[in-house]
Formats: sequence, C-alpha cells, structure tokens
Amino acid sequence: MDLRAGDSWGMLACLCTVLWHLPAVPALNRTGDLGPGPSIQKTYDLTRYLEHQLRSLAGTYLNYLGPPFNEPDFNPPRLGAETLPRATVDLEVWRSLNDKLRLTQNYEAYSHLLCYLRGLNRQAATAELRRSLAHFCTSLQGLLGSIAGVMAALGYPLPQPLPGTEPTWTPGPAHSDFLQKMDDFWLLKELQTWLWRSAKDFNRLKKKMQPPAAAVTLHLGAHGF
Amino acid sequence: MLYRSLTDCIAQTMDIYLCLKRPSWMVASKRMRTASNFQWLLSIFILLYLMNQVNSQKKEGPHDLKCVTNNLQVWDCSWKAPSGTSRGTNYEVCIENRSHSCYRLEKTNIKIPALSHGDYEIIINSLHDFGSSTSKFTLNEKNVSLIPDTPEILNLSADFSTSTLYLKWNDRGSVFPHHSNVIWEIKVLRKGSMELVKLVTHNTTLNGKDTLHHWSWASDMPLECAIHFVEIRCRIDSLHFSGRKEWSDWSPVKNISWTPDSQTKVFPQDKVILVGSDITFCCVSQEKVLSALIGHTNCPLIHLDGESVAIKIHNISVSASSGTNVVFTTEDNIFGTVVFAGYPPDTPQQLDCETHDLKEIICSWNPGRSTGLVGPRATIYTLYESFSGKYVRYKRDEAPTNESYQLFFQMLPNQQIYNFTLNAHNPLGQSESTILVNITEKVYPHTPTSFKVKDINSTAVTLSWHLPGNFAKINLLCQIEIKKSKSVQEQRNVTIKGVENSSYLVALDKLNPYTLYTLRIRCSTEAFWKWSKWSNKKQHLTTEAIPSKGPDTWREWSSDGKNLIIYWKPLPINEANGKILSYNVSCSSDEETQSLSEIPDPQHKAEIRLDKNDYIISVVAKNSVGSSPPSKIASMEIPNDDLEIEQVVGMGKGILLTWHYDPNMTCDYVIKWCNSSRLEPCLMDWRKVPSNSTETVIESDQFRPGVRYNFFLYGCRNQGYQLLRTIIGYVEELAPIVAPNFTVEDTSADSILVKWEDIPVEELRGFLRGYLFYFGKGERDTSKMRVLVSGHSDIKVKNITDMSQKTLRIADLQGKTSYHLVLRAYTDGGMGPEKSMYVVTKENSVGLIIAILIPVAVAVIVGVVTSILCYRKREWIKETFYPDIPNPENCKALQFQKSVCEGSNALKTLEMNPCTPNNVEVLETRSAFPKIEDTEIISPVAERPEDRSDAEPENHVVVSYCPPIIEEEIPNPAADEAGGAAQVIYIDVQSMYQPQAKPEEEQENNPVGGAGYKPQMHLPINSTVEDIAAEEDLDKTVGYRPQANVNTWNLVSPDSPRSIDSNSEIVSFGSPCSINSRQFLIPPKDEDSPKSNGGGWSFTNFFQNKSND
Repeated sequence: MDLRAGDSWGMLACLCTVLWHLPAVPALNRTGDLGPGPSIQKTYDLTRYLEHQLRSLAGTYLNYLGPPFNEPDFNPPRLGAETLPRATVDLEVWRSLNDKLRLTQNYEAYSHLLCYLRGLNRQAATAELRRSLAHFCTSLQGLLGSIAGVMAALGYPLPQPLPGTEPTWTPGPAHSDFLQKMDDFWLLKELQTWLWRSAKDFNRLKKKMQPPAAAVTLHLGAHGF
Repeated sequence: MLYRSLTDCIAQTMDIYLCLKRPSWMVASKRMRTASNFQWLLSIFILLYLMNQVNSQKKEGPHDLKCVTNNLQVWDCSWKAPSGTSRGTNYEVCIENRSHSCYRLEKTNIKIPALSHGDYEIIINSLHDFGSSTSKFTLNEKNVSLIPDTPEILNLSADFSTSTLYLKWNDRGSVFPHHSNVIWEIKVLRKGSMELVKLVTHNTTLNGKDTLHHWSWASDMPLECAIHFVEIRCRIDSLHFSGRKEWSDWSPVKNISWTPDSQTKVFPQDKVILVGSDITFCCVSQEKVLSALIGHTNCPLIHLDGESVAIKIHNISVSASSGTNVVFTTEDNIFGTVVFAGYPPDTPQQLDCETHDLKEIICSWNPGRSTGLVGPRATIYTLYESFSGKYVRYKRDEAPTNESYQLFFQMLPNQQIYNFTLNAHNPLGQSESTILVNITEKVYPHTPTSFKVKDINSTAVTLSWHLPGNFAKINLLCQIEIKKSKSVQEQRNVTIKGVENSSYLVALDKLNPYTLYTLRIRCSTEAFWKWSKWSNKKQHLTTEAIPSKGPDTWREWSSDGKNLIIYWKPLPINEANGKILSYNVSCSSDEETQSLSEIPDPQHKAEIRLDKNDYIISVVAKNSVGSSPPSKIASMEIPNDDLEIEQVVGMGKGILLTWHYDPNMTCDYVIKWCNSSRLEPCLMDWRKVPSNSTETVIESDQFRPGVRYNFFLYGCRNQGYQLLRTIIGYVEELAPIVAPNFTVEDTSADSILVKWEDIPVEELRGFLRGYLFYFGKGERDTSKMRVLVSGHSDIKVKNITDMSQKTLRIADLQGKTSYHLVLRAYTDGGMGPEKSMYVVTKENSVGLIIAILIPVAVAVIVGVVTSILCYRKREWIKETFYPDIPNPENCKALQFQKSVCEGSNALKTLEMNPCTPNNVEVLETRSAFPKIEDTEIISPVAERPEDRSDAEPENHVVVSYCPPIIEEEIPNPAADEAGGAAQVIYIDVQSMYQPQAKPEEEQENNPVGGAGYKPQMHLPINSTVEDIAAEEDLDKTVGYRPQANVNTWNLVSPDSPRSIDSNSEIVSFGSPCSINSRQFLIPPKDEDSPKSNGGGWSFTNFFQNKSND
C-alpha cells in the first residue's frame, strides 16, 4: 500500500491510540467496567485521524477534478448535492441535541456519505485514486462501526434505513459531468464538515461520560497526540 | 404623379387639339417661323407637345412584352396595355411562324405553350372602343426568363446534441419536363437580429418527379445558445432552356430555438472533441454572466440574445483525465460544463497473434498514441475474425499505460487460418489493423513442465515432459540441451508428433556411461515460430558399463633386480565407465602364472617377486559391472650399451623429444621421466607413443621450470623393452639460484689462484654454460665494489666456459694490493648471484729492499759530504752563526728593568729604557647614572643600589701597570681625554654582579662594547659599539661587562664547551685580567633580548627563579 509521510503519521497516531486504549478493551481488561468512555475516546481519535486522512485524499481528488475545483477559494453553490446529509446545523439546535439523536445523526450521515464515496470510487479514472478512495472508505467503515459500538454501549438502537431510501449510486447521463464534479466536491466538503462536527460531538460526549477521576488520565491521553 | 397630371392636362385640352387638327410637323414649322412673343410661343409649344404625345398614344399598341416560365412548358407572357385602355379592352394575340394561331383574351397576359427554338412574331392587337392598335413583338426563348416557383421548407429540425440543423424540402421536379440541375441557396441566420451565419449552395437534379431533399448543417455554436433561422431559394440550370435562368424568391423563414427551462445551462455538455479544434461554449442565462473560464484561462464573452453569452476556444489542448472544466460565473452562481479534448484512436501497432496451446489465440498490440480519453470515452477494441464472424471486445477503463494490450480469442475447431481485424473505436473516431495468421505457424509453446529422465541403459535414457496444449495435428520440434561438464555442451533437436494429452516421451541415446548429465528441454513447432522457455534443469547420472580399456601399464625392475614393480594409471572417466573398484594383476610366463587380485582402486602399483626376467604382465580394471580387457606388458628389459646422455631444453610447458624411426620396434615407444634428483628407480610418469611416431611432446602439469628431469625413451619389441635414449632436460632453464663457492688457494705478490666448487644440480636450475670471474682493485666497504660487475674500466672479466676447469690463476697483479674477486655462474636462463671476496696480494720483497737501500745510501753520502764541508769551513760558520754572547749578568740596566717588571714598589732610577709608569685609577661613580629597572629580575645586587654606591669606592684599586712595548696608537681621542692612559679595572668575584656605572660622556664616546678582551692595548671602555643590542645594554646596564660577547651566552650553558667555541673570535686568552675563565659566574644580563624573553627554558630564567625562591 502506498503510504505517504502524512499517512505514516496518521497510522502512527492510530496505532498509538489503539495501544493506549488496549487496556480499555473489555476482553483484555476485566478488572472493571469503564463504561462507554473509552470507546467514545476511540471514536473521537478515529475521527481526528480520518480528518487528517481526508485532507490528503481531498487534495488528490480535487486536483483530479481540475481547476477551478482545486482552487483554494472555490466555493460553488450547492446545486445538485441536495441529497447529501448536511453537517451544518444551528448552534443552539446542536447544543440541544440529546446523545441518542447526536449519535444517530452521525451514524446516518456517515452511512450515506460512505455510500456516495463508494460511488466516487467506482468512477475514478486512475488506479492510484481508486486505491486512495478505497483506503479511505475502509477507514470510514471503521468509524461507522465505532459509532455503532458507542451507540450499543449506551444502549441506543441503530437507526434502521427506510426501505427504498437507501442512497444508491446512479451512474449514467442523469448528471452532467460538471454537476457530477460539483457533487464530488460537495461530498468531500460535507465529509470534512461532518468529521469536524463529529469530533466536537464525541468530545462533548466524552466529557459528559467521563467520571471525574478518569478525566485527568484521558486528558493526558489526548495530549499525547 | 407627373405623368398623372400630364394626363389630366391632356384630357382638358383635347378640344383644342381637335380644332387644330394639323399634322404635327406643320405646327413645328410654323413655330419656327413665329418668335415674336416668347410666352405665347412657349404656351403653344407645350400645348403642341402634349397634343403630339396624345396623338402618338393613340397610335401605340400593347408594349413591354415579357415572358417568363416556371416549368419550361408554359410561358407566361404579359405586356402593358396601351394607355387609355379601359377594362373592356380585348386583345388578339397571334403567334406567327406557328400555324398562325391567334388568341382573343381580355387580360394583358397569356400563357402559351413553350415555343421551340427560333424567333416568333407576336402580334398583339388591342381592340378597344376608340379603335385598335397593334403591336408586333419578336419573341425568342432567349428572351424568356426561367424563374422557379418559390421553394418551401417542409421541415426544419435540429439535433441539439450534435448542434446540427436538418432541413427538408421538395424540389417539385414533376413539373419540369427535362432533367435539370437545380442550385439551391440556403441561408442560416442566427440570433434575433438575424445575423447571417452560413450561406451555402446545394446542387440537386430534377428528375421529373417531386423529390424531397435533405440538408444538414453542424453549427459551430450549440443550437441551444441562440435562435437559428433558415431560408432557401433555387435556380434551375436547364440545358434545354436557353433563356435567362433566375433565382426564385426566398422561401418563408423557418427557425429553430431551444426552450430553456428554468435552469441556466451551459452548452455543449460533456462534449468530446479533437485536440486542436475550435469550440464555442455558451451559457444560456437569465442572469448577467460575469466571467467565463476554461481551465485557468479567462475568456472574452460574446454576447448573444438576452443575457446569454458564448466563448470561443481556439486550438483546444488535450484534457486531463477528468476533462477540461468550462465555468461561467454569474453574480451568485456558477455554471459549467466539461469538455474532453482527445484524439481518435491510433492505428493499433505491431498487432500480432500467437497461441501457446492451440486452444486460445492471444493477440497483442501496441495502442500507439494515447487518446487522452479515459473512462466511458476510452477506446474500445474489437477483435473480429472474419471467417468465423466471431469477435471479442476489450475495454480498459484506466488511464492507458505503455504496456501492450492483449485479447484472447478462443480457437475454433478445424480452423487454422484466421483473419483478424482489430477495430479501435472511441467517440472521436476509429481505426483498425488486420492480420491474417495461420495459427499453426504461430505457436509459442508453454514452458515444458514435469521434466523427468529415466535410464534405459548405460548410454541411453528416456526423457518425459508435460507440454500443455492441443498439438495433436502438428509436429513439435524440441531441443534438448545436454551438458556433460561445465564446458561441454551439446544440443540435440528431436521432432515428435504432437499429442492431445500433453505428455511427451523421447529416448536420448549416444550418452556416455557413468556420466553426470545436466539436461533441459524446450519446444517449438515444426513450423518454427518461437522456442518456449527452457524447462527446469535435470541432473542425471547414467549407469555404469564395463571399462572399455585396460589401464595404461608400465613396469620397473627394482634396484636389486629381483622384484618387478608394476605401475598403472587410473582409467580416465570415459574409459572407466563407472567407479573402478579394484585391479587384478597377473604375471605369466611359459611355466607359471602369478597373480595379484582385488587390488583396491586408489592403489596403482604392485610389486611381484619374479624369478625370471621374461614375463607377460597383464592388468585388468574392474568396476561394478565387469572387468576391462587386460592391458599387457612384457617384463623383459633388452640391454643397450650404446647410450649417451643427451641434453634437451623444453619450450616452456613441455619438452619435444624426437628419435629416428626404427623398424625393429614393433609395438609402441614408451617415454618415462622422473625428477633427476630422485633416486633410482624413479618414475614420475610415462607415456606410450605409437610405434610409427618419431617424436612427441611431453607435457605434464608436474613439470616445473628450473628442475632437471631425466627422460628415458624405451622401444618396445616383442620380447620386451629396450632403453634407447637417456635424456636430461629442463622444461625451462632458470638462472642459478646460488653463487659458486670459491676459495683463494694461493696468493703471491702478483697472482692469485682461485678454486671453486660445482653448484648442486637443484640450485643450478639449468645447464651450466660457464662462469664469469671479475676482479679488480678494491677494498671492502668501498663503493667500487658495487660497480665492479657493471663494467668498470678497471675491472677485468674472465669468462670460463670450460666446465671442467675448477681453478683460475690471475696473474700480473700488483703486490700488496687489495683485490676484489667476484665469481658467478650462468646458464641459458640467466646469471646466477655473485660471490665476492677481497684478497690482498703479498709484498714484493726485492722492490722493498731496493726502496730501503737507495734512500739510506743517499743519506749517508749527503752526511759525509756535509761533514767534510762543515769541517773545512768550521771557523766561518762559527762566526756567522754562533758568535760570542756577552753575559747578561754583567748589565745593570737589565737588572733594573727586571725589578720594575716585577712590580716592586721600590721604584729605582730609570736609566736605560724609558719606562713610564701608568696609573690605573678607579673613576668616581656618577651619582645620576640611570636606574636599571630590569636588574630587579637579573641581579640580586640591583636590590641594593644604595649599598653598591657605598661599596664602589672600596673596590677601587689603583694598579700600576707597565706594558713592555706600546706600539699601537689609541684610535679614539676620547681615550686620550680620559687621561691618555689605559685603565684596567680589576674587580673581584664578589662584585661581579654589580653593574659598573660609567659617566654618560664616556658612554657616548665609547661606542666600543665589551667585545672581548683587548689585552694591554685598549681598555674595554674604549671599544666601539657594533650593534644596537650592545648599545641597549650600555643604556640599561652601564658598567663593567665581560669582554666576551654576552649575547651569545643566552642560550648556551656557560660551562658548555660550545660556549667557548662559538665565541672563538672574541674569546680572551688566558690573561689574568680575562673574565673568560669565570664567565660561568656572570648571569647574562641582557634580559630584554628576545632570546631570553622567548619563554625558552633559558639559563637566565632558571637562575632568576632560583633567586626568587
């Protein structure tokens, strides 16, 4: 697998995270139940790692789309990307979200985004791009599983996709190439925003779930990165 | 209007005209004559003119006959009615030159069937109320105009995706009797302002039927961008019609427009175009478009209807894999499209088809130039086989790489010839390559697998391998590589019939028994195309066979002649045919047979005690399969007395031996050799040579240069071997390794007898060719010895080539002289080392005696003569050389002088010799002499300057001194001023360190430094300063200084001998006044001297440190 320097740091961070949290894995640590805190931390760390990973992927992909998509100040209106789950939300609304809703929204958003992302992978013209996208999809799948784990730990049911509303990738002439590129651009942008929002979500959850004594430890742990 | 008013006027004046019914010409003549009243005349003139006009109209018939046709069958002729005719006017039109047909009609036009070629007279008679008028016209087809009916566009449609307009119309050709060419002119207009975009002519033919015509036009601008209008007209170019052919009127305009939906759109969308072409993009918008970009490039806007704009791109360059983006920006939105600029597929290059297994054909090709298009726009390759009609398709979604493309085509049963067409297709075009192959000639078999070797016998094996493929109908050509050793390699080709089950078996013969072979195989077909890759290597050892020959045998009698030693050589591997386990040796004579059996292999020698001399010895080698044929040799040696030892020198590696042909030698010759230094019986090796040979080259790896070998040539007869020649030889001669050991046997006054010993053979390393003896005068440890050998003129050389000579007498030498003798031996290989010796010849006694006697005799004679002469002249001699001398004790003056010189204070009267006593006075110390700061670290005395000044007067001693003779003038006048007398300052040892102050004037006037003692002539203070250092010394430490150069003492220990030697020029000599004898007490005071300050471990420093301590 082609790993760049950035990837290596990300992998290292991920590895460190895993090692740090090894004692927290229930199978290894049977001394006491620590609750959902460690898995939230893990999800938070994974979110940060994905943020980093996306940064390099987006650079590659936007270059592939060509100008003006790869220009830093390019900010097109959201034309055909209405079906993408929006990450932006009013601050008050976000604050008022309860844990279950917060996690559910995250789970649903990443389910959709993952599906779109796989479609993106299918139409990429270069093998290298496909590899990068597949790598990211795998990571995102991991995040989805991680969120599902947190929800399970908190006793929330996973949201069931409504039949027929499963987002599917429809290749073909329905979209022009330009609109497709706009969608790709927005997909990456929404992914970025979602990852940023999730980091805040999980940070909030983490603080909420932490027992006061363990806070110091986790705080130190977070500083490790 | 004018014409109308004039007509009215004519009507009003009709009555006047009737009254004056005169011919007009009369009126004119009359007017000519009357000119009195101009106004009147003008009125008359106008009136008459108008009347004339009216009159002429009355006479004129129909005019301006004009005929046109729109179908060439009917001419529509019209004319202008004469003026004044009313509606009820009838016309009679008669056409002459035809069967005088006349038509009556009320219109001013008539449709007549088309007239054939020629002039026709048309008479049109207009019949009206007030009369009739007739006009004649000449009508020809040439005067007739052919003006087709105005065409009508049946349909105008558009394909927006391709920006193409499709036009459909009817030529209405059925009305034309003949085939005619029609020229259509089609006009395309764009935008609301109807700008002409395209005007084309389109030619068709009328064929007597109504025909629909189509015309299409691809717009450079997408049709969605603006409204497009089309109109059409035509002109018929009939060969059968000679009249004028004119354009029809333009058809009614038709238009095409795109009804935009609510969204702003950019056109064209996702278009694929050829690199380098021009393309127009437009943005159909309701908002104002601010800018347009293609890639990074800003483009100027072309304004269309409304807010729509377009941009035109010239010479577009190839797109990236995701296409080139074209973006239009409005106030708060952006719109765009993607264009894919690429190339049509290149012709597939190097298309070639082959098969590995005759089951599947692999066609490969090089795609050539990249199209720049990927994904859905990538090139699709179709491999079509024309005989079977089958095809396979290939599409690669990824960006193209340099590797070649491949397609697999399943072979069809019973088809050998395939005609492939490879078609490459993409949105910009297509290309193709074809290849016709007989697939049985294009077989590139897979690598043979499961390669196995099995024994048949000791010289043959079977090879089996697996070669996947259906080769049942062809023959395979396989190549077997047989490698016996690292160097020996053989390739054998075998042709085998192809089989269906892919297993092949072949026998490989003509192998050597008991040989390790490395085998591998590769295959092709009989119609060679390519070899397969080599199979894996297989090593195989063939089985053993009986040894093919007996061992090469030789025998030697032991030194006592009782035992026969039998030698044999191990069989070479190609004759042993297996591992030799043992040997059997038997000796048989007529009476008895002795045998030694089962001698194990590593032993190649046997010894048998034999009573007689005449045996046949046979040796048999045995391996696991059987015994070799016996090799036999006779034991008997036939004596040969006529033997000489010959010498031979080889050629580096071997030695060439030749002999004369001897018909008596019935079997072979044997040459045996051994190292000459070994004792007999000696055998290193032997070689058998066929009896018909007369020469052989003996070569052996054992031969070493510089080693002497003995060679013995035996000839073989029936009963035994006879030694024919004995040869000593070297393969290569070298120089002797040692010098000959020589001694001097006898030495006389003029000769030396030298004797030397032979050099041992091992150290000689070649045939001795002589000695070189050098001799010359020379002594041990002189360089002459070295050059002795190298041809010095004094050196004599003797070359001794007589080997038997062991002594040499060197004569004609000088007596009692050292001679250097050198002896060296040489061979053809070079000079050996030299051995040298020094010998002194004995004295020549006769010469010595003569040398002694002659001088003695001469001395005696001279003595005698002198004695005689002296005796004769003894008085004269006495007077001259030895007169009487008065007794000095009788001289008083001398007595006085003596007492003075003894320093007695009791001065007596000076009588004989002037003797002026000199006073030596100690000068007063100057009170203001410069303080010597440095002395603090030099002299302990400096610590007490006050004491010193006190002590000084005590040290003053006035000494009277009387030099014996004062001959030298005092050069410095200052010295005279100082009292005109030399002064000597005596100081004792204790006060040596105290610097002696000196008057400043004296310092200035006494430039002479203390450079050595000036005994009795100059005082030290009168010496001249010679260098700056000394001057500085004077400044700082004025006073007494030793008369030696102090500077030179700085680095040298005062008591070292060098300190005296180095100052030899200025050293003082043993005077009681000299300070030289005690200079070790005086520390060098020149502290400022760089030498003493140099940080060196100077004596001064050491001293000072001690004092400080």
